[in-house]
Amino acid sequence: MADTEKTYKCLNPAGIQPATETYALAPRLDALDGKEIYFSICGEPDITIPLEKRLKTDYPNVTWKIKKTYGTTPMPLSDEEMRTCDGVIQGVAW
Amino acid sequence: MPYLARLEKAGIPTVVIDFEDQTEMVKQTALVNGIPNVRYLHASRVLTGPEDVDNIIGPIMEALTEPLTDKEKETGRWEPPQQRILFEGTLDEAETFYQKTTLVPFPINAPIAVYTDGLPIRVPTEERVREMLTGTRHKPDELITYQSERPAMMRGREKKKGDVVEFEPMKMTATVEKVATIAVMAGCKPEHLPAVLAIAESSCSTGTTVFWGQWVCISGPYAKEIGMNVGAGMIDPGSPVNMPIGRAYQLIAINLGGATPGVNRMNSIGSPFNSGGTCFAENADGLPAGWKGLNEEYGFKKDESVAMVMNVGGSIQGGQFSPGGYRALQKSGHGGIARRLDVKGTPGPHNFLEYLLPGFWASREGGITFVMVPEMAQHLHDYGFKTKDEVYEWVQKRSLTTVEHYKTYSWPDIGTNGWLGIEPTSGKHWKELADDYLVPLVNDPRDICIIVGGGEEEVCQELAGRRGASSPVYSIDAWR
Repeated sequence: MADTEKTYKCLNPAGIQPATETYALAPRLDALDGKEIYFSICGEPDITIPLEKRLKTDYPNVTWKIKKTYGTTPMPLSDEEMRTCDGVIQGVAW
Repeated sequence: MPYLARLEKAGIPTVVIDFEDQTEMVKQTALVNGIPNVRYLHASRVLTGPEDVDNIIGPIMEALTEPLTDKEKETGRWEPPQQRILFEGTLDEAETFYQKTTLVPFPINAPIAVYTDGLPIRVPTEERVREMLTGTRHKPDELITYQSERPAMMRGREKKKGDVVEFEPMKMTATVEKVATIAVMAGCKPEHLPAVLAIAESSCSTGTTVFWGQWVCISGPYAKEIGMNVGAGMIDPGSPVNMPIGRAYQLIAINLGGATPGVNRMNSIGSPFNSGGTCFAENADGLPAGWKGLNEEYGFKKDESVAMVMNVGGSIQGGQFSPGGYRALQKSGHGGIARRLDVKGTPGPHNFLEYLLPGFWASREGGITFVMVPEMAQHLHDYGFKTKDEVYEWVQKRSLTTVEHYKTYSWPDIGTNGWLGIEPTSGKHWKELADDYLVPLVNDPRDICIIVGGGEEEVCQELAGRRGASSPVYSIDAWR
């Protein structure tokens, strides 16, 4: 066999990706009124400051709670807060 | 995204707001965290806040209330295939195969290499990888694990010796054989493998947005042992040792980390360090008396070898001396630099850092890594800095600035969490401090670093600094 026709087994450089279980999203809200929704803010005050104001004025029957950091890692809800939380808006980092 | 996954799995509906160019990153991270169909809306990089809110407030609330689609209700298991032999064929066919590309959508809209850095590679045949593995006593099927304890860094957690390394951003793991495969692709020789394994132990992060540059500096006798260039052009092309080891970092990031431009590696323009990779070495023989090598700075012995693996914001800059301009300063105290430092007519040694420093912090805070030729290190020593630590402390003091000026930088708005916390040097709340109170732009003297190497022409280049509280150093000897 000519050298150019010789075949070789060539190894895979890709890493070993662990299997991941994938989940359905949580069911959506049937209504907004009376719900407790968290606005979880990570930076970008140019967007989040006016958004917070509009959420409160446009949806006054929602109980709005705010979790805020200027950094990029969200301030998480505590276990207790998760028990009464009906929804989370996360932005602009996550 | 792990946090959002936790919420969704707990039955709490969420919606994420980010920019359009981050779409591929959101999708991939959501998949890796088990919620591939996370609802995501685009904010604008350019519209004013109120205009942007007009556009997105309705869709935000719809994202929380519109019933799930069939796709969003799916559960399953994502398990990419993993085969040891990726390709079988002639060398020519293999060379073509490994240059496979994928089309990455906005913000790139161009083909990006799947297995390489865009350049052709040396095909990793079984025979070549077997030969590469003679460079280490570690077994081929051994997982890459931490060889020592590591403190937590940024969003990470503390690592114990023996913990398996997860390569970011895809959290993949790897065997010694996979690293050897990549070392073949990069053009390394078996004697380079311990350095490549030490680099792999760092997990080869590439950062996310803005611009991050990765580079490696070897310290210890290993550099001379394998024939690294520590002299002129040590960060330039030419060395068949420096170049492939530096390249291995990037190929590890691509193949073991899954780092893909426009998807999860979002450098907006990029860094020259990352093109082809960067590895150089400290010139231990060029250190002034009493100045520790990088290995000794991190508690290793002089005869132990380490890889300092850096992934830092920013690129490289350096003072531009005219031909002879620096020498005139030190030899006889003449020329522009001498006039700037007010030492006209006085022979050196003079502290040239006084000339370099003021411009460094014009638009950035933080530590500095000085890469300087041995002659200039010797001038600093002769001037009076008998240890590197003395230089580090001096530079940190020079970084003092008023609170008023500090508030005109970009990062401190985030670093201080909107000026809500305690200023560390005073123990007082930021908002209680007078405008003229002095704070350092460099948090810790150990955020500054000096690496001695390079040729005879007098050059000192500045790179972003390290984080003094953490160690970016990995033992090469542990991987021999």
